[in-house]
Amino acid sequence: MDQNGIGALLVYMQENWAYLLSLAWNHILMVLAGIGLALAVGIPLGILCLRSERLAAFILAAANTIQVLPSLALLALLMIFLGLGFKTVVAGLFLYSLLPVIKNTYVGLKQVDASLLEAGKGIGMSPLQLMTKVRFPLSLPFLAAGIRLAAVIAIGVATLAPLIGGDGLGREIYAGLNMRNSLKIYAGAIPAALLAILADVLLGRLQGRWSRRRNAQAKT
Amino acid sequence: MNIKKMLALISLLVITAALGACGGGGGSGAAQGKIVIGTQTYSEPKIIAEMYKALIEDRTDVKVDIVTDLAASPIVIQAMSRNEVQMATLYTGEIFNGHFEIEDTKDRAAVLRQAQEGFDKNFGFKWFDPYGFENTYAFAIRKEMADEKGIETVSDLGKYAKDMRIGVDTTWLERGNDGYRAFVEHYGFSFAKAFPMEISLVYEAAASGDVDVVLAYTTDPGIKEFNLKVLADDKQFFPPYDASPVIRKDALERHPELEEVISLLIGQIDAETMTALNYEVDVNKRTPREVALEFLKNRGFLQ
Repeated sequence: MDQNGIGALLVYMQENWAYLLSLAWNHILMVLAGIGLALAVGIPLGILCLRSERLAAFILAAANTIQVLPSLALLALLMIFLGLGFKTVVAGLFLYSLLPVIKNTYVGLKQVDASLLEAGKGIGMSPLQLMTKVRFPLSLPFLAAGIRLAAVIAIGVATLAPLIGGDGLGREIYAGLNMRNSLKIYAGAIPAALLAILADVLLGRLQGRWSRRRNAQAKT
Repeated sequence: MNIKKMLALISLLVITAALGACGGGGGSGAAQGKIVIGTQTYSEPKIIAEMYKALIEDRTDVKVDIVTDLAASPIVIQAMSRNEVQMATLYTGEIFNGHFEIEDTKDRAAVLRQAQEGFDKNFGFKWFDPYGFENTYAFAIRKEMADEKGIETVSDLGKYAKDMRIGVDTTWLERGNDGYRAFVEHYGFSFAKAFPMEISLVYEAAASGDVDVVLAYTTDPGIKEFNLKVLADDKQFFPPYDASPVIRKDALERHPELEEVISLLIGQIDAETMTALNYEVDVNKRTPREVALEFLKNRGFLQ
């Protein structure tokens, strides 16, 4: 931190807390929406991957390809089709979150112990019941790990939003960078980092809870 | 149970997305009585956007929104052609970014004419005459050194250049028609050593004597902050980058009263003034809005 010090930063944040809070809220909304869409699309795709190895290779390769694009390039590309603002950022976060969701759904479903599936079949479960009552619940800890990864990435990528007309904490970061005002940079970057840590911790807990439940279920 | 909860969670998130898209997406400014001004990331276009917001809202019934920090001028133009942004500040050198076929020239008037005609024909934009300043590359040196050696123009640098170090931005050494290699050919001399670095650092490097010459951006307040002298480009090497207001023609048809308001600033801001305004924001940390309003009041455009 420069000569202004932490005190000046706290004063600045106190004076602008309502604005910073609205940016943070916007940031969270973009991330939630992007990940929600990724779950809605990614989980079915993960299940589809289970159906055939060839399809799995294709879907995962496609999701991998998206991941390789630099984030600003992806957002600028999406802007051509979707225009400026919120929905373009959400679309970008959605695409970025797809890979962890699909891959972890797929891996999670795949690692379920074959004997459990046999047992399910043995008591007369239909394929749908096997999926919803045995396979999917047992794969949840893996999915949680995927969401955790996706959330942390998405919170980072969402700071680029202002460059394509969106909002969020990135607005404060870019304003600071361009006005050579380090207070503004910290006022945007520190909350964004805290959000990422918070998401990691909370989703880590969810992952732990689902793991314990899964182990309990597997035993019974 | 788990599955139901999961589905509930996912649908909740998707609904959030949908609501957000409706509520937060309000970037489209085609609505009646409103225009959106888009700006690039640096202070200059932001200050001018605030001037126009104040002027337009003062003199007409049109409301103005400003979208700041768009990554680069091609993105601003893209947003304008999608009608999400109706107005912006652009620089005539924009024509070298390959939006349409151009005839290669460095003549100021010819570049302006090509920008005006090209963007009119290909994009439906009205490109006004310049504000009165350009923001292009220029060589700058410490004032004491300029006085001591009597250096006024780039050509004057020629006899000292072989002992001089130059600080430049990160792209100039590799740039095509206005880069270092072309420069050497054009002016017929080269520098002892060139240091590419982040542009905001070159001014301080010159002031502290780490380099002798810098390739500055002409309206950057670093020139003033570190007491540098800009040298005249006497052999016309750098292409012109005159700044002008640009607006979609259909927005102008909807609000013909805007034409007069936009014209108010034409020819009103010279490079020195613009540099001083940038200085207020970049060095004195004032907001673009404050600085814009102060300028308008001083010039009598606003009460």
